[in-house]
Amino acid sequence: MSKAIPASPPSRASLLWHKWRFHINILLLLIPLGFMPKYFADASLFRGDSGLGEREIGEIQVGPWSLRLAELRNEAPRLTGPAGYMKGFNAALCELCRDQVKATYLRIGKPRSLRAAGAIFFGTPYRMGAMLPVPEKTKADAELWITMEGWDGAMHQASIPLSQASPATLAWLNKQGGKP
Amino acid sequence: MISAFRPVLLMFCATFSTAALAHNPMCECKAIDAEQIQCTGGFSDGSGAPGVTLDVIGYDETILVPGKLGADSTLTFKKPGAEFYVLFDAGPGHVVEIDQADIEAP
Repeated sequence: MSKAIPASPPSRASLLWHKWRFHINILLLLIPLGFMPKYFADASLFRGDSGLGEREIGEIQVGPWSLRLAELRNEAPRLTGPAGYMKGFNAALCELCRDQVKATYLRIGKPRSLRAAGAIFFGTPYRMGAMLPVPEKTKADAELWITMEGWDGAMHQASIPLSQASPATLAWLNKQGGKP
Repeated sequence: MISAFRPVLLMFCATFSTAALAHNPMCECKAIDAEQIQCTGGFSDGSGAPGVTLDVIGYDETILVPGKLGADSTLTFKKPGAEFYVLFDAGPGHVVEIDQADIEAP
């Protein structure tokens, strides 16, 4: 003698799930579409299709040479791990100096020597990149120094105010207050 | 065999690519007593810097203490009498400068 256990009616949630699960999964496929504009903007930025960087600073004369400088991102320095805050810059050498310039450096404040000239630009002369460390105690009136070293040993320097190089960095420094 | 290994390799590369991207030089100096200063060098990906040049340079650009970091990535030197800064030099563009004013007292 056996007793049949009556099947309990399916819950409301279960009914909804079974009815709509196909459509809900289609919605899941749509989620990546929301990230597409940023993805394509980044791809174009890194490929160089949208210029040297997000914000072009302009042509800067450094002795007999010149370079076009741009902020990679028009934003405050980013905290990149234990090495502190970093800010990305891109540069393109002038047509004449592509063969003459061996290295280009970037530093906040005047370099004490060529050895301590700061962050080095790497990449092709048409589009080089450098990650500049930005100390939190940087003064608002600080200057960005560009040092260029030639294959013949010549060294030329130029500086621009940080306010011109990166207003976003300046705003970030002002916002957090001058740290000692 | 090779095809089975490929996804593993891809996963490996994807996982460790960020570590290879950023390894900025770092250096920290502190006074261990009234006379001695100890500097520790390394890179932001967590690796040490044994054998990397660390020079103590006077404000007049004379090298006061030419040194290299030891196996434990540190170097201890006697505090120079003149004004100085420490230069951790892992190659052109990979340097860290520490001014004497930024060195913590013991």
